[in-house]
Order: sequence, then C-alpha cells, then structure tokens
Amino acid sequence: MAVIEELTGELARLPGIGRKTAQRLTYHLLKRPAEEVRRLARAIEAVADRVRACSRCGNLSESDPCAYCTNPRRDQSILCVVEEASDIEAIERTGQYRGLYHVLGGRLSPLDGIGPAELSIASLMERLGNGEIVREVIVATNPSVEGEATALYIHKLVQPLGIRVTRLARGLPVGGDLEYADGVTIAEALAGRREL
Amino acid sequence: MAAASTVLVCRELRLRQFRNYAELDLVLPRQGVALIGDNGSGKTNLLEAIYYLEIFRSFRGAPDEQLVKFGADTFYVRGRFQDPATDRTLEIAAAYDRRTRKKRVTVGGVEPERLGDAIGQIGIVVFSPSDVAVVAGSPAERRRFMDIALSLNAPGYLQALQRYRQTLRQRNTLLRDGASPSLLAVWDHGLVESGARVMAARANWAAAHADAFANYYSAISGGPAARLVYRAAAPVPPGPDVSVEDVAQAFRAELARLAPRERDRGTTLTGPHRDDFGFELVGRDGPRDLREFGSGGQQRTAAIALRLVEAATVREARGREPIILLDDVFAELDTGRARRILDLLEAEARGQVILTAPKPTDLEPRHGELERWKVADGTVTP
Repeated sequence: MAVIEELTGELARLPGIGRKTAQRLTYHLLKRPAEEVRRLARAIEAVADRVRACSRCGNLSESDPCAYCTNPRRDQSILCVVEEASDIEAIERTGQYRGLYHVLGGRLSPLDGIGPAELSIASLMERLGNGEIVREVIVATNPSVEGEATALYIHKLVQPLGIRVTRLARGLPVGGDLEYADGVTIAEALAGRREL
Repeated sequence: MAAASTVLVCRELRLRQFRNYAELDLVLPRQGVALIGDNGSGKTNLLEAIYYLEIFRSFRGAPDEQLVKFGADTFYVRGRFQDPATDRTLEIAAAYDRRTRKKRVTVGGVEPERLGDAIGQIGIVVFSPSDVAVVAGSPAERRRFMDIALSLNAPGYLQALQRYRQTLRQRNTLLRDGASPSLLAVWDHGLVESGARVMAARANWAAAHADAFANYYSAISGGPAARLVYRAAAPVPPGPDVSVEDVAQAFRAELARLAPRERDRGTTLTGPHRDDFGFELVGRDGPRDLREFGSGGQQRTAAIALRLVEAATVREARGREPIILLDDVFAELDTGRARRILDLLEAEARGQVILTAPKPTDLEPRHGELERWKVADGTVTP
C-alpha cells in the first residue's frame, strides 16, 4: 500500500485536486498499461529537469535565453510585461504580437506579502536600461485590483525613462452579443470607446 | 410615483431542510397571503427563504450554516416567479451544503458565472422589526442597508464596492507595515476610482430620495417630517447629480490631507467604509437626529419610511413592482400609524404582499382580502 499512498499524497498536493480526486487518479493510472504510465512519469521528469526560467525574460523554456529572446525576427523595441509565464501562451496564440516579453512572477499584493522586491522588477529595469533599445512597454497584467496596482507601479518607474507605457484595453469580448455582456464590461467598453 | 411596468409574483415555493422546514411545497396566491402563527412557528423563516432568492443571503444576517435544518447537511430553496400579465415565469433556486461550504445558485436552470450576476432578479422588499437597527444602530448597519439597496438597484455598484473593499484591505496592510508613500500611491488610484463610484451612487441616491423619505415619514407619523441625509466620510459634493469625477477629486484631496495621520494610525481614515447617513427630525429648534433623540415609535416610523423608499427605488431603477414582505411590522405601532402605512401600501404597492402576524388582525393590506394561512411547527396549512 505504501507506494499507492505516496502517489495519492503527491497528487493531492496539486492545485484543484482534493484527496478523493487524487485517489481516483491513482487507481485510474493503476488500470492503464505500464508503458503509458511510464510515459507520463518521464514527461513529468523531463519538465522538472529541462525547463528553466529564462534568465532574461523569465519565460519558462528549455533553452536559456528562451526562443523569444533569441529570435532575431522579433521586435526588440517592444516589451510586453505579464504576471505569469502562462500568460505568454495566451498572447502568442493571437499571432499579433512580435515583440519580447517580461514575466513578473506574480503581482503586487501586500496581503500575501508580495511587494516589488518579490517580483522581477529590478531585472525589468535592468533590461530597459537607459531607454535606448526598448521604445514601448505594454503592461499586460490582469485587470484585477492587484493587477491594476502593479501596472501603475511599473508605469511610475518606466515613464521617467522616456519610454512609452501602454496598457491592454478592456472591453467587449469578440464574438459575444452585447445583450449577454455584464454591465461592468459594457461600461468599460463605453469608457474606452474609439472613433470609427 | 411612477407606475412599474412589470410585476413578478411568487407562485411556487419549495423548501428542503431550510430552518425548521424539512419539506415544504406551497402554491401561493397572486395577491399574496397572510401567514398567521405563534412566535417560533417559522413564519419569518418563510420570508427569509423567499428573500434568499433575491440576494442569496439571509436578510436577518444569519450565516448560511444556520439556515440548514438541525441534523441535515444541505438546504434547498426554489421559487417560481410569474408575471401575471404575460405568464412568463422565472425559476430561481439556491442550495447550500455545510460540509463543503458550497453554495449553488441557478437562475432559469442556469448557473451564473458569478453570484453577483444572479442577485436582484426578482425585486423584493422586506419590512422587518429588526429594521429599527438601521435607524438606531451603528453606522455599519446603515452602510449595510445602503449597500444591499444600491447593489440591487444601481448598475455597477456591487462591483465597485467589491473592488473598493479589496483595495482597502491591500492598502491597510501597507499602512500597517509602514510602507513608503510611493508604494502606497499605487493603491490610491484604485481606491479613489472604486470608492468614488460607491460614494457618488450613495450621494445621488440619498439626495434623489430625500423628499420621498420626508413625505413617507410625515404621512405615517401624521405629523412633522424627517429628512434623510448622507454623511460621507470625505467632503463629497451633494447629489442628486454629482459626477464620479467630482467625488473622486474630493476623495483624493481628503486622502492627501489625511496622509500623515494615516501613516501614524496605520489605517485608511476616509472613504465609503466610514460613511454614514442620518435621519433628522425637522423641528423649530433645528434638526434633531432620530438616532439619538427619536422615540422608539419615531425610529420605527423612519425604518418603515426607508423601506418604502427602497420599494420606490425598485420601481424606478428596475421598472418592476416589488414583492412586499411584511414581517410582523404592525405589532409595535399604534393603530393610527399602522393604518396609515396600510394606506400607503394600498396606494403604491400593486404587487404581491406576504405578511406574517401572530394572530389574525384587521391590520392587513388588500382590505383583508388576503387568504389567511396557519403556520405551526414547520407546516403551513392554507
């Protein structure tokens, strides 16, 4: 029983997985062919061994610097600041952004003991240097209370360098009907309306 | 008062393991009903269940665990609401499991993305003897009243309030830890933005309804009027048409003025979380605050006038005739006042009325035409 217990215990430590789900996953794995289970184990081992945070932007990658940082076709003059490495995926999926990234590793939250020192803000300032290479910083933190405060903090630090600081617009989801959008989203979209 | 365009009445109510009801299924008359029963028989629990479907919280301020029947794990409340003119129906259900502390709400069978999206679907106003605490109790009681009324009737209010509270918690943590002014300033922006929206809504609501409150108060008391006044913690300009920008400016200035003291005290000293509003009796020697100087009867009258204002707000803001729940409200009023309140309800409230009383009385709206149902020990007998 010991190894079964051990696996259940490890699974239960994952986010969103309780004791019961962990047990169900364990017994599911036990019913699968051994090779399939080993493949999963190897995949987990591989990410643990090979994936590192990029020393320049903080993106999670197998190479350091990561593929975005070393790609000569990407625009070195624009930097998009995100909270987590997973946010890069979302922006990349649009295929619309050709600049570089910077991962903060979270957002300001005094309640959780997270201040500027706990985020990759010093390394951001280092990258921006004297404002010669980077001309624009796009702050793509979440529109939460904490994300907004973090955006403002970055804005205050970066603006004196003479670098343009922009924020992602908020508004209506594409493909959504106006009548199904919530009031706050519509109000935001109205406030941020633009000339046709 | 403007006539409401739509009416929604509660036609069916199903309770499972809610308070003292193990299992209850009722078909309610369109007009409403008078629930008659001894104290402790469960009359108020029925009103609590109906109102739960409006805000998904107890109007008595009870935590959800306490709403589950003793010995059970989960309560379930479901109401079917109908517009008699169109026969259109809306089904709202709520369940709470005290083991997992999970609440599940459905509106028309669909689970809303956020609970905030589901509140205020029906339009209900509850009159309760505990309302007197809104007039006579602490400022927190009055803020709670205002927050519920405006969350239900002012678009965007609840979201602004939630953002304000979250920002306030973050900012107070920084103040307590003695953070630098530059770090603090980052949170001020969000605090002012959300706080100004909350205060502007409060200022405009109080000013827009000051006259209505005074009229209701004197109509019930049969005597002098009382005024409703908003007492904001920051010196915000008066309503009823104050803009969020003007309030934000005043709030920002007050924060700047208090900054040194806030750093000493380690907490935020101004903003909607310190607001109050008052009820002033207009007399020859100037205004007198009902909270301090009012008699029990005057305080109760103000509380009822406030609920009548809330009903008027539902009519204006949501274009809907509210369901009126009257929880034994006439017990402590003299016959004259009770009669005048009934007249007001007769004249203005055209929707369903559900009332509770310990024994049958003449003091019933709809000229005593409401059916009288008996409530005893978790059963209701038509």
